[in-house]
Amino acid sequence: MNIIERILENINYIGAVALFLIGLRIVVLHSNLIKRIMGINIMGTGVFLFFVAIGNVSGGVVPIVGANPEGSTFVNPLPSVFILTGIVVVVSITVYSLSLVIRIYQNYNTIDQKELAELISEDNNEH
Amino acid sequence: MNIEQLPIINLILFLFMALLIPLLKRRPFKITLILGFIVMCLVLASSSHLLWHVNEVGSFSYTFGGHEARYGIEFLLTPFSALFTWVIIILAMIIYIYSSGDATEGIEQSEYGRYYVLLFILLLSMFGILYTNDLFNTYVFIEILSITTCAIISIKKKKDTYTSAFRYVMMNEIGSLSYLFGVALIYMATGYTNISMVSESIQVAFASYPFNIVIALAFMVIGLGIKAAIFPFHIWLPDAHSSAPSTSSAILSAIVIKVYLLVLVKILFSVFGIDILEQMNMPLILLILSGTAMILGSIFAIAQKDVKRMLGYSSVAQVGYILLGISLLSFLGLRAAFFHIISHGLMKTALFLSVGEIIFYKKTRKVNDFDGMGFIMPVAMGVFSIAALGMIGLPLTSGFISKLNLGIAVLENNYLVFLVILIISSLLNVIYYLPIIILAFLRNEKYHYRMTTIEKTPRTMITPLILLGILIVSLGLFPNVIMPYIEAAVETFIS
Amino acid sequence: MKIRKMKVFDKMAKTNTLLVVFAMLLLSLFIAYASDWFSIKETFSNSDFYQTIMIAPWIQYLPIIIVVIPILGAIIEVLVAKKSIDERDKSVIYMGLLTLVIVVFIYPLALDDIIRLELPNVLLLGLSFRVDMLSYSVLLLSSFIWFFVMIYAHEYMKKEEKSTRFFFFLALTYSSVLGALMSGDLLTMFLFFEIMTVVSYMLVIHGQNDSSYKAGYNYIIMGLIGGFLILTALLLVYFNVGDLHFASAIERFDELGNLKYWVMGLLVFGFGIKAGMAPVHVWLPRAHPVAPTPASALLSGVMIKVGAFGIIRGASSYFFPSKDVVTSVNDPIWLTSQNIGAFIIWTGIITMALGVFLALQQENMKKMLAYHSVSQMGYIVTGIGVALYLGYQGAMGYSGAIYHIINHALFKSLLFMIAGVIYYHTKELNMYKLGGLWKKLPFTTLVFIVAALGISGFPLFNGYVSKTIIHHGLTEAYHYGSSSFIFAEIIFIIVSAGTACSFIKMGYYTFFKKTENNYDEIPYDYSSHDIALWAMALMIILIGLSPKFIMSHLIIPQLNMTTYDPDFINHYILGLNVFAIKDILTTLGIVGLGIIIFLLGKKYHLFHLRLPKWLSIEYIFFLPAYLLMKNLCRILYGDKCPYNEDDFKKLSEDDIEKVGFIDRFIITSNVLNRRYESSIIRADAMIYTVALLFVIIFMINLL
Repeated sequence: MNIIERILENINYIGAVALFLIGLRIVVLHSNLIKRIMGINIMGTGVFLFFVAIGNVSGGVVPIVGANPEGSTFVNPLPSVFILTGIVVVVSITVYSLSLVIRIYQNYNTIDQKELAELISEDNNEH
Repeated sequence: MNIEQLPIINLILFLFMALLIPLLKRRPFKITLILGFIVMCLVLASSSHLLWHVNEVGSFSYTFGGHEARYGIEFLLTPFSALFTWVIIILAMIIYIYSSGDATEGIEQSEYGRYYVLLFILLLSMFGILYTNDLFNTYVFIEILSITTCAIISIKKKKDTYTSAFRYVMMNEIGSLSYLFGVALIYMATGYTNISMVSESIQVAFASYPFNIVIALAFMVIGLGIKAAIFPFHIWLPDAHSSAPSTSSAILSAIVIKVYLLVLVKILFSVFGIDILEQMNMPLILLILSGTAMILGSIFAIAQKDVKRMLGYSSVAQVGYILLGISLLSFLGLRAAFFHIISHGLMKTALFLSVGEIIFYKKTRKVNDFDGMGFIMPVAMGVFSIAALGMIGLPLTSGFISKLNLGIAVLENNYLVFLVILIISSLLNVIYYLPIIILAFLRNEKYHYRMTTIEKTPRTMITPLILLGILIVSLGLFPNVIMPYIEAAVETFIS
Repeated sequence: MKIRKMKVFDKMAKTNTLLVVFAMLLLSLFIAYASDWFSIKETFSNSDFYQTIMIAPWIQYLPIIIVVIPILGAIIEVLVAKKSIDERDKSVIYMGLLTLVIVVFIYPLALDDIIRLELPNVLLLGLSFRVDMLSYSVLLLSSFIWFFVMIYAHEYMKKEEKSTRFFFFLALTYSSVLGALMSGDLLTMFLFFEIMTVVSYMLVIHGQNDSSYKAGYNYIIMGLIGGFLILTALLLVYFNVGDLHFASAIERFDELGNLKYWVMGLLVFGFGIKAGMAPVHVWLPRAHPVAPTPASALLSGVMIKVGAFGIIRGASSYFFPSKDVVTSVNDPIWLTSQNIGAFIIWTGIITMALGVFLALQQENMKKMLAYHSVSQMGYIVTGIGVALYLGYQGAMGYSGAIYHIINHALFKSLLFMIAGVIYYHTKELNMYKLGGLWKKLPFTTLVFIVAALGISGFPLFNGYVSKTIIHHGLTEAYHYGSSSFIFAEIIFIIVSAGTACSFIKMGYYTFFKKTENNYDEIPYDYSSHDIALWAMALMIILIGLSPKFIMSHLIIPQLNMTTYDPDFINHYILGLNVFAIKDILTTLGIVGLGIIIFLLGKKYHLFHLRLPKWLSIEYIFFLPAYLLMKNLCRILYGDKCPYNEDDFKKLSEDDIEKVGFIDRFIITSNVLNRRYESSIIRADAMIYTVALLFVIIFMINLL
């Protein structure tokens, strides 16, 4: 019982870490480039979820001045601010990687990492 | 304008220049270059003044918007940040002057402007990383640095740039997310992201939430390790070098990975503190990593046929040296690491810029094709030789002084094994640098170059090389000019 | 024999002769001052010249001035070379003369050990210079020899190309040698040592053909390895003693236990690589035949002495107690010195024997002389070993070593110059193909006889004195120390006989054998060659005739500054009678034995014996590594080894001359690279995960 209670208390964190690990697994095991980009996105989402989960104060109210009386416990607004920046960063990186994938496809006609490695080593051996 | 606003003025100047360049698209490119040079001179002046001020008067902090450090973002000017921003701007100026010659090869004329925009934002982010005193702010600047570096190395529209850039983005993003995860864990345990506040409360947090701190330490070190090209996370570095223009390679190898190492130093010493590190036996892990980097980096470099990849692996080995200095967790070790950061920055820049000149004029990249280069490009090969002899560790160059420093630091902790590894690694460096120098200056049988056909290279490309050569030798002869500043920088972490 | 009229083709022969006569006058002035004829010392020290110039404060900067002069000479030489060859050579020769003059004149200052220069804050730990009698003896010697070789080179380099580059690097090497000799602490010596290695590489590689490149690469790699060994020793000394100056540090070392043997071993091997000590002498016989003769003469004559000088300095400074501490012979403080000394004596004996044995097999004159250099350096190293072994009473070995440094430099440079003259005229270095040269080159033959008698140790020539002293040292080691040194003495005698035999062989085959070659092209002339030759021969004869001069004026002042037993010095060395009947008879016996060996060898063709290839040091030393490298591909890949034909053939090549250790290492790293690099690159995220797991598990375990 103790363990299940503890899991339920920290379900947010566990979910976030699980997302991170799922994303990592995708990046490690798949060789399709687009899948890897998606994996990184999922990893990022996991980290952001972790951040938000930190901010959550149990029994807290919305942190808007004036909406609730002073002295009540507010939910921490700071992590949400962090992850806003983080989301923007991850989005821009995703955009950049996707444009790279398009170029790679135009040049090599494949987006599978293993085939790419073979094609590149062939190119190098010609030199 | 008082002294406290100088750091932010530096950043604003860079941002201003970066925004101005696209507006100047219609004008001749020379105006952009000159304006950029003026901006960099201004930043150099202000950095020098800051360096003087911090060492004579004392550190100071600047909070944005007047919000106190707990809630807002704080820039902390210590001897450490002042010294390294000064070093970065000097190296950046030298590379900038070089690149204004014809050396951004492979890039079309219309894209020159974009290159310089990226360069200025890159400098902005590096200055930001060094000035800031907030963990999350560091993450933001790290991300800006990652994206601009990635763009700057993949600016050539050739086939092999894309795959190497992709791998670079992938690995760097994993690294950043690791770092961010670490920041989250620390925030969870201590409730602050401001570095000074975290360092005050870390002991209490460690007592109550040991798991958090430990996992945070692991994630942050490995995340930064990927970005700093520590073996075995160095994978992206050789590929990135072989397909980038030479100025970008120089920026990447000489400055960017060092900044990540500096962030690592800040995290290890300011955020976590030596007690926790020793409890967690982190020095052992770092020592093993640095030892393998020193030896394996050089062994892989011996086998390379492309000269830029070889220099990339050489960087991996040199990062091993710096990591050795850091992991000794002592005053002498950190001093040796800082000196090597400066000295290696100079030497690697010299190597990449001279190689860039040779590649540009001779269109060849293979190590075996250097026959007789010394006869037609004496300045480039001369500076290459000085820098290569510095990497080997010949006295009269700054590389020897860093080896001396590292040796003394290693002996203080009684790690005789590492002394042996240091010497073996220097020997391995000899094996792959010496044949190039010999080929260039002596073996003229293949092409029969004559001294009279020296290539006319623009003065903007030769002057920075000569300046670098002079700096390497003078730093090798009189290192005590810069030692007080380095020791002041070390004292911000270890008293 | 008709006295033919000598022609003079060399335009500078007359000026060079005058310059050499001037140098000889300087030498006589030096002799006069040192021997205090006409109480010249008194008058000199009261003279105005002495009072104003020599005691002035700027005299402290003399070491830097002496080091800078050859550098300036090098720059001037390059600038002047465009005008004419003679002008260029003149600049070099005058530079040598200027240095010689300054060096001769600082003798009074060196006697009192006044010149000490400190340069703090340079090169992190500070440089320091010091001229005491130990440095001065070798310094004086080097200046004289360098000056004569410069004159010789003027004539010799007329038949070689790219001589401007040669003289430039020769001058830079001179500067670094002077710096190394005048150094006052280990860092300064290391600095000049490394510079010397790098610049002299350009001299070895001068010919720029395949064998030059190979020999040069071997030379520079071994030189740099030696440098790194010295660097390790430097770091250990700096860390443990705190101060790199050449002063006594034995108390600190004794506290460290076994570390002191490591430091001494590193110093001995590091300097020993440069000194041609076995087993790291292998670069010597490869580098000498390919370098031009002036470079060989200086390499063998002066540069390897810097290596021996380094060993002496290191041993006698760090490992000897200071004067005020020592009281008696049996002070346990000498124990370290004893152990190290025994090791060095045996290394020296092996070097001697190895050198002579291999020298007897050679047919290339220069290679034979190179092996003799190895052998004679063995004498010097044995002397140093005796000096360390006998501790308080080691003054005999010490004097013998320094005396032999001086003598060997003289006769070895002379022998190389003679070989160079022969090569210059006949383009032939193989002594079996020469013969009967005494008719065409009578003067050279005469000088050769002087040098050969010198190196064989014949009485009345200089080698006799130093070899006798070292012999005495060995017998003392046998008497006072362990009795195993009787074998050392026997080997010593055999080696000396072998040396004598080898030179009888060289003389016979090159000069005196009857042959059909008539050598018509050799002109009968007087050139700068001959000037240098007779000057050196004169010095050999002078030393041979009055050996006590060097003992009393160069060596005994040094001994007074070291911690050797003053009674011992007074009793045995000051009153040493080198012409004792016992010694003369021993030497004549040795020479006789040499003649017998020669006659036997000639009759039974013993000189054409060759050691099997597998007995060479390199092969035995590197065999495990070679085997590993050959099979590495199969180990890593299983059967699908992706070597190409070339690489695999190179690795299985049994002849180590063709494919050296470093080439094989490079091929092996290629294999490693091919196998692992792409797989490491592909596994990027996997490495991250694995590393993360390891680190977390490792750290959580500690919690």
